[in-house]
Amino acid sequence: MIPDLFTQLPPVRDDLETDTSEAQDETVEACLPFLAGQDDLFEYNEHGVPRINREKHIKFLHNSLGRLPGGFVAADASRPWFLYWSLSALTMLGEDVSHYREAVAETARGMQNDTGGFGGGGRQLSHMATTYAVVLALALVGGEEAFEVIDRKAMWKWLCSLKQPDGGFQVCMGGEEDIRGAYCAAVIISLLNLPLGLTPESPAWTGDSSSNLFTGLARYVRRCQTFEGGISGQPDAEAHGAYAFCALGCLALLDNPRRIIPRYLNVPRLISWLSSRQYAPEGGFSGRTNKLVDGCYSHWVGGCFPLIEACLSPAASASAGQVDNSARAGLPPVSESLFSKEGLIRYILCCCQDQTKRGGLRDKPGRLSDAYHSCYVLSGLSSAQNQWVLADSDDDKSATGTAADPAWTVLPPLEEDVQIFDKRDRIRPIHPVYAIPDENQRAIRSYFLEKDSEGGFL
Amino acid sequence: MPPKGKAAPKPKGSEANKPSSTSTSAPPPPASTTSTPSSVPSTSPSTVSERSQQRFDESRPNEAAREKSGLSSLAPAEQVAWISSQFARSSAARARLGTKAQRELWRHVNEASLPVRAPKTKPSPGSWGKDRAGQHIGGYTPARFDDRAAKRITLTALEIASRAFKDTRERARKGLLDPLSKEPVVLAENEIDQEKNRRRQMAALRRELYGQTMGQFEQDPEWDDVVPIPQDEPEMALAAIAYPASYAEAISYLRAVMQKKEYSPRCLRLTEHIISMNPAHYTVWLYRASNIFAMKLLIPDEIEWLNEVALEHLKNYQIWHHRHLLVDNYYPSIADDADKVSQFAASERAFLAAILAHDTKNYHVWSYRSYLVGKLGTWGADELAAVEAMITDDVRNNSAWSHRFFLVFSNPAHSTPGTAATDPDPAVPRDIVDRELQYAMVKTYLAPQNQSPWNYLKGVLAKGGRRLASVEAFAAEFVAGLGEGEEVEQVRSTHALDLLAEIYAEKREKEKADLALRRLAEKWDRIRVGYWEWRRKCLDVEG
Ligand SMILES: [Zn+2]
Repeated sequence: MIPDLFTQLPPVRDDLETDTSEAQDETVEACLPFLAGQDDLFEYNEHGVPRINREKHIKFLHNSLGRLPGGFVAADASRPWFLYWSLSALTMLGEDVSHYREAVAETARGMQNDTGGFGGGGRQLSHMATTYAVVLALALVGGEEAFEVIDRKAMWKWLCSLKQPDGGFQVCMGGEEDIRGAYCAAVIISLLNLPLGLTPESPAWTGDSSSNLFTGLARYVRRCQTFEGGISGQPDAEAHGAYAFCALGCLALLDNPRRIIPRYLNVPRLISWLSSRQYAPEGGFSGRTNKLVDGCYSHWVGGCFPLIEACLSPAASASAGQVDNSARAGLPPVSESLFSKEGLIRYILCCCQDQTKRGGLRDKPGRLSDAYHSCYVLSGLSSAQNQWVLADSDDDKSATGTAADPAWTVLPPLEEDVQIFDKRDRIRPIHPVYAIPDENQRAIRSYFLEKDSEGGFL
Repeated sequence: MPPKGKAAPKPKGSEANKPSSTSTSAPPPPASTTSTPSSVPSTSPSTVSERSQQRFDESRPNEAAREKSGLSSLAPAEQVAWISSQFARSSAARARLGTKAQRELWRHVNEASLPVRAPKTKPSPGSWGKDRAGQHIGGYTPARFDDRAAKRITLTALEIASRAFKDTRERARKGLLDPLSKEPVVLAENEIDQEKNRRRQMAALRRELYGQTMGQFEQDPEWDDVVPIPQDEPEMALAAIAYPASYAEAISYLRAVMQKKEYSPRCLRLTEHIISMNPAHYTVWLYRASNIFAMKLLIPDEIEWLNEVALEHLKNYQIWHHRHLLVDNYYPSIADDADKVSQFAASERAFLAAILAHDTKNYHVWSYRSYLVGKLGTWGADELAAVEAMITDDVRNNSAWSHRFFLVFSNPAHSTPGTAATDPDPAVPRDIVDRELQYAMVKTYLAPQNQSPWNYLKGVLAKGGRRLASVEAFAAEFVAGLGEGEEVEQVRSTHALDLLAEIYAEKREKEKADLALRRLAEKWDRIRVGYWEWRRKCLDVEG
């Protein structure tokens, strides 16, 4: 019932022992009992896969939103993340989080700076990552009361002040420039329907309207692709899973993924690197070459595949005898999946669930669960369980240089007989770029779009 | 007389309703206590509560007996005395009496020698409150209680002296003259130390007496001019952290000094204090950098301090951006002095070696390292040797391999700036490409299934614009008898087989390529079956 792929060591192994191989062997050893259905805490189905422990995870996540003990002082500059991680994970588990609306709005208000953006807490410097987290948290609880917390005009000016002449974004005033900044900025601009024009105060201001918030951003992303094919946090560093998602997500917001991804990235090298992240027998993804599997890469690496597969998929018009967009990449479409969904789902359900009273999801067996891993493990599970397709609709419209708005739609659940998980264990689909449910991203975007059509922004 | 007439029928209603059993049963023989309440021998009390009870009883003759058995159990004279005492203590009650009645009252008061000023409320053990240990103060021995009282007096005296200190300091600051000596007010050096000592005593007393903690900054006279800004979060705030008191205090002072944009030695110390509790606080790091630059402090001193912090907090990455900012600021001052640059580069390299010894793949350390190479221009042999040592140590350390690639192929002396990492660069000399291919191949033999040198090899081939087929013989060394049956087929490296598939595709040997990919999917690397299948489809496109 469990394929030996997930219960045996890989067929090719080296004798040489180094720190890396020792850590790898220990990890495999820790995972095998869970993968082989030998853990007493679990109840396994006929595929040797345990059910998702919704109740415990939900309780763990509600607690993460409550008052945190003093030991969490180290998280004092990342509290917005706790909002996003917990609310996102709860949403994926099917919980209605709208009753948190007022509390999220109040919490966010205390973190917003008059000069635009949100800090990690009250009177902390606005940061791209915490702003991203707050905006997504507000989108998750939804509603006018939440959306109206955001001072969009100040936000726009703040983003302009972080835009760099080389196309990238600093993460905060005086902070580093990296690809997280690029992705977070693209998400914020797009969800809030911010204007793209630059203020004269922007370091990227050229004195005319020849450059805007998105100018050079894709070129910056391209500079982060490494010789291995993966993406680094900033140019000249090592390829890393978290940054691969940031790169693809950013590009997918700038233009139609079918066009922009092959234009700026070496897709075959990227796919080769992404695919190398999946290990057997563990089934999960690692973040870098020769590093260990970790549940959070279920999203950071796993979440790249829907974007890559969309970029390889033929546009609908191609079947009608028109030009095949994917021909630009010179690459064939994917038949089923570029990675083993079964492997990932096994790793998540067998190895990443904390089955003790604590609940929550984790990096790997032996590690404590936390809100961060709960969010990204579930995001990965969601993208492994649900199939998204990219419609061909406005391919030409997006050539105007403004943010593209490709239509992503989720396909109905796959046939029951190919699933190794219980039907009741399906996680809510999340949008492949915004990583929140489609209806939430639609709601916040259309709210501001409508507002601006009535002259709301200025 | 009104007091009597008024009070007499009243209080007894409740007594009358008592079940007969109690009233018929022999009333407790309270005679001794009731008749001479004030003459209770004052045995020395064991607790302050008892002492207080005695004083109360002395001020209220008959109270104990009345409480126990009711007013009517008292002798008539005693009743009058008790009632009078009630009126004597209440001016509101007295006001309701006529003039004559008042006169009558005072006569009784005088006759009974009742104390008019007496403890107002009846003491109870709880009325003393509890000390910080939760113990009822009423249960203290009188000696202990008196000791406590003395401490409270000491604390008050300290507070007065502390206020005087602040006042003197303020006058000294304003340059005022002493009204008596007509000399300018000066704050002597030792007065600050005395005040620090005083605050320590105050803090100790407040903690002992009231369980109040006096924060480190509240205790420090140097911070008196700063009004801390406490956290002002709404009650319903989510994921709020129950800050330890020391952190909450430090942060509230940070907010205050940041708001007034103060850059000073004490602010620098404050940032250090906060960083020690929460090194992930990016705002405090940036504020620290501003302090250093504003005060033009020596960067090497800060770097030395930072070295220790970095070793304490290995996973933290704010530290590395801080270092980046320091180097950006420092480099221009040494850029013209080649010796100084190489000295600095050497000390940085030594520190990086130390920190990477703890965590050989630390992403932020390696990112900083590549920045540093670009900044200082240390593309040479020393840096290459340092990275080679790490690859020798663990040939699977991919971070070290990545850094090597950067060192070799981004060196401005022989590369074209702006070339994508996966694109060929004609500026790279042939011998360097050869050298790097050789290096990767030698390292591959140590552990053929190690993907790092294989990725490196492909990267070098791409940079050099070489055909993949130029390493076909090498890759083929790790694969034998492909497709010749389970018994014969041997694969010592899936990466070699992957590369062979690419080589065959490049040579348009589609069937061989397809076989290699099929064997990867079927046997040698099954978890990636979806990818190998897609690669097979690519063969058709490449056709
Ligand atoms: Zn993780």
